Amino acid sequence: MFWHNFKYSLKVLFKSKVLIFWTFAFPILMGIFFNLAFSDIENSEKLDVIDIAVVKSDEFDKNIIFKEAFENLSDGDDKLFDIDYTNLDKAKQLLEDDKITGYLVFNDDINIVVSSSGINETILKYVVNEISSNAEMINTLAANDINNEIKKGNYNINYEEIYAGAYKLVNKDTAKLHNISNKNLSYTMIEYYTLIAMACLYGGILSMYIINYKLANMNSVGKRTAISPVHRGQMLVSSLLASYVVQLICVTILFVFTIFVLKVDYGDNLPMIILLALAGSLAGLSLGVIVATLIKANENAKTGVLIAITMLGCFLSGMMGITMKYIVDTNVPLVNMINPASMITDGFYALYYYSTLDRFIFDIVSLLAFSILLIFISYFGLRRQKYDSI
Amino acid sequence: MTVFKSFWKVLLKYKGTIILYSMILIIFGAINMSTSDSSVNFEDSKPDVLIVNEDKGNKVSDNLVKYISDNSNVINDLKGEDEINDALFYRNVNYVIYIPKDYGKDIMDGKNPEIDIKSTGDYQASLAEMMLKRYIQVQNIYKLNISSEDEFIKLINNNLSKDASIEVTSKLDTNKLSNVSTYFSFASYSIMAVIIFIICLVLSSFKEKTINKRTIISSMNYKKYNRNLLFASFGYSFILWVFFIVLGIIMLGDIMFTSRGLVYMLNSFVFTICCLTIALFISTLVTNKNAVNGIVNVVALGSSFLCGAFVPAEWLPNSVLTFAHILPTYWYINSNDLLKTIQVIDFTSLEPIFINMLVVLGFSILFIILNNVISKYKQKVS
Repeated sequence: MFWHNFKYSLKVLFKSKVLIFWTFAFPILMGIFFNLAFSDIENSEKLDVIDIAVVKSDEFDKNIIFKEAFENLSDGDDKLFDIDYTNLDKAKQLLEDDKITGYLVFNDDINIVVSSSGINETILKYVVNEISSNAEMINTLAANDINNEIKKGNYNINYEEIYAGAYKLVNKDTAKLHNISNKNLSYTMIEYYTLIAMACLYGGILSMYIINYKLANMNSVGKRTAISPVHRGQMLVSSLLASYVVQLICVTILFVFTIFVLKVDYGDNLPMIILLALAGSLAGLSLGVIVATLIKANENAKTGVLIAITMLGCFLSGMMGITMKYIVDTNVPLVNMINPASMITDGFYALYYYSTLDRFIFDIVSLLAFSILLIFISYFGLRRQKYDSI
Repeated sequence: MTVFKSFWKVLLKYKGTIILYSMILIIFGAINMSTSDSSVNFEDSKPDVLIVNEDKGNKVSDNLVKYISDNSNVINDLKGEDEINDALFYRNVNYVIYIPKDYGKDIMDGKNPEIDIKSTGDYQASLAEMMLKRYIQVQNIYKLNISSEDEFIKLINNNLSKDASIEVTSKLDTNKLSNVSTYFSFASYSIMAVIIFIICLVLSSFKEKTINKRTIISSMNYKKYNRNLLFASFGYSFILWVFFIVLGIIMLGDIMFTSRGLVYMLNSFVFTICCLTIALFISTLVTNKNAVNGIVNVVALGSSFLCGAFVPAEWLPNSVLTFAHILPTYWYINSNDLLKTIQVIDFTSLEPIFINMLVVLGFSILFIILNNVISKYKQKVS
């Protein structure tokens, strides 16, 4: 009976177009949307070449340190600026048309003109400040050297060489920085992790559907099975097993799609990834079971509740804005501790970003505890359901 | 009136969905508002930097900390390496500086100690790195000739205190305006989802086979029947639009009562009308309630992702944006983006926005025509 029911449950599940859409097609469609929307976002946050203009004037031509500094900064592969040397009217026009971040006017002093505040504008201002402080340093250093030469009694001073030496010293990169950050810093990955979480929880629609199928108050097939001399527990377990199998197939397809087509990085620990997918799907299954048993409403309403819970969970774990997960984690950690979508997302995050497994194990244990609790509650809701007439 | 009334009766059954989408908009709006201050003067962008100072109490190290603190937002409340790593991953911190033990002493001894850093590699992190490098550079040069700590620090600070004069041409409060634009762009998702979802569900109740048959044989003129449904759908969309505008006014404040705010409202109204026509079109196309659910999610989420409702359009790949031209949401969001940069509101500056609105209206007309064609075809078939 167990396998008989298992087989027919599988058939029922695979034949429902709506179920197949939500559990198979929808996550893949969302994955494609994510990929289209987020593929460029991290690149556009990297420091890019900044377009600026310099208003040509005699003062600028005389200011050798600035002139050379700007030539260096707008040269080579890692250049910071693209500079348009032009006249004042043209520069104003370029700024108005949003073609440049700002322009520089050299009078007695240096004047920076920008259209608004912003990061590019700040960098421009910062670089100008840096060049003027470098200029001051060069002058001080050169003056010191010249003084030293005079003190030594050497009056035949090679000014050019001293200035060149000072210039070289000031512009030599002596800062020794060692970057120890983790290389896996791609935060858009969280989006795909929430997607897997969504697919796992949407699997609840399958278990809900199959439980409804066995409930006498939902379905005429349910009525017939209720009066048949079959052990109810055995039948429910075999139906749920069928829905779990379908769920795992859909999560596997999504994994294959995200890894090979969308190039999502889940870290290198394959057994742990599989374990997380199994535990996540179990949480989805238990969520579906509890919605099916505890909520007394028609099937559409139940589906609505399940989708709403899943979407809210995914929202809180960062699907609609990645920082949301961080905000919830740091301010109201309790919310994400009981949110299965966040447990799944966090598990993948832990695998991707952390070198130790502590956090991951905590997530897995939370997921299992969540599932067992829900199944336990549903068990008490389902047992001894009897109808004299319906 | 019977039809009109029963429309609202069915609609009220779905109030949970309307509340859910509105809540998402409110949460998004509130988070968005809390992240920026408003100002029209030049404000330096400050990266979020975390400093782990193992050399506390040394004047030279403390001066480095002071310089970084003055030019960035220092994040203090993180404990332990895990919290730092989390903050870095979610970009709550852009740059972490680890000042090693005896750093100050080593500098005064003429060494050049290495500093560990963690970086997100984005704009803000690059700015923080520029600051740190510049400081170390200045420090390394002045230490060549100086032996007294105090004089050394004074020289460094003197050199770093240079501040070029900067002039801002725009008189717009860009932070505030970009909040308004972000709110309205995100609202495109809420408007579209709620209108299409609810109208399709309600209308599909009217199109259920048995109900439809009863309606057809009733004495009511079918024109009147259709008109009633249309009015009710329009009424619902209008109320929803007013509701989202009121939400906007509560969250964004008096900027909504300026002429610019009015254009934002008008733009969203045109978009609402377009969503209504899409909803009517989809309701003719599919009457299965379960299918409606799927279609709404694909249409609403799809156009929001591709047109820049969730991710600002400037960050989307060009190919996606080119494709997005065939979606009405693109034109709506484009107007929102333009509105935050226009300096003076007058007819010439608003021209591109009016053109966008016309395009959105054009889409509406297209959907009305399609709707008629499909319903005629369906009538013939049945």
